[in-house]
Amino acid sequence: MKTSVLLIGGFDMTRGLASSLLKKGYNVTAIYPDYEKCKVLAEIEGLQVINGDGTKPFILEEAGAEKMSIAIALTDHDDDNLVICELCKKKFGVKKTVCTIKNGENTEFFRKMGVDAVVCATNAITSIIEQQAFMDEMTTVIPIGDGRLSIAEIPISETAPAVGKKLWEINLPKEVIVGCIMRQESNIIPRGDTRVLAGDVLILLSSAKQETTAVRELTGR
Amino acid sequence: MMNIFSKTKETDYTIIIGCGRLGASLANMLSDNGTDVLMLDKDEAAFRKLSSSYGGLTLEGDARDISTLREAGIEKAKVVVSVTNDDNTNIMVAQIAKELYQIPYVVCRLYDPERECVYHEFEINTICPAVLSANEINKLLGSSVYHMEAQRA
Repeated sequence: MKTSVLLIGGFDMTRGLASSLLKKGYNVTAIYPDYEKCKVLAEIEGLQVINGDGTKPFILEEAGAEKMSIAIALTDHDDDNLVICELCKKKFGVKKTVCTIKNGENTEFFRKMGVDAVVCATNAITSIIEQQAFMDEMTTVIPIGDGRLSIAEIPISETAPAVGKKLWEINLPKEVIVGCIMRQESNIIPRGDTRVLAGDVLILLSSAKQETTAVRELTGR
Repeated sequence: MMNIFSKTKETDYTIIIGCGRLGASLANMLSDNGTDVLMLDKDEAAFRKLSSSYGGLTLEGDARDISTLREAGIEKAKVVVSVTNDDNTNIMVAQIAKELYQIPYVVCRLYDPERECVYHEFEINTICPAVLSANEINKLLGSSVYHMEAQRA
């Protein structure tokens, strides 16, 4: 049986998520309060759209919340998202509830109230902006675990201090590991005695705090 | 004298969230009875509803931010009453008060009684105006109108 996902509120995010989840073969239902915008959502092929306030139990029931495996609350209001997740979990027995929040301070509280995954959109975006603005060396940074960990892609230029060194000769912080070196067409899983060459792209797994230090050691910036 | 004053402050400090008709009249009542009250509302203009004899504090801010509640001194409150016009805000504030700060008495107003299941496992008292009114009207009608009809028949 296909996994069913319920998306509540958050027009743009619902639109993006719905298309991508449908492509991956999930059953997707969306709840949105504005009728005109519901019509726009309904244009996405295969998406079920329910017009109404997702914090109301009867709307959730209409959307078939009891059959859902995952409920994702994307409204602009933290309190609405909390109530949606609690109703889904307690009244409809949805296994996994996910929500976005605006105020990062609420993360712990939401977890305590039984929301399985809490994504602070504001924190995630500001940290990405920070990385993009201050670390030109990194082309891609993927934050995971609420931004506590990140995977970064670091191109090594000819002038970088790491060029020609073996990995164990580079003074990397403890909480950082070079998981892969992409060299031309091949991928190398490095060992301590692997040499870093100019033109390599290193895939770095690191804790958020150590990332900047690691980048400085590798690229000199 | 000072001693007694500070003692009452510790024991019955009450925070009311939402300065609407219900919140304001409750605040006036409690304040007249000598309770220490703090009224929290996101709109400063709402405080006009408080009577001129209101002797409590007011604070402007969003109760959904835990930092605002801390500013209101929630950790020393004995009673938290959440009566904003948004059910979901009331639910969230009540849960913060109960679960994060273990406030002994938490009361909140719910327009939609269907959401009540969220509270079952928490010790939160809910007031549902629709249910209360229905009961009251039923009582009024039951004791006079229908009774009389029955007698006539």
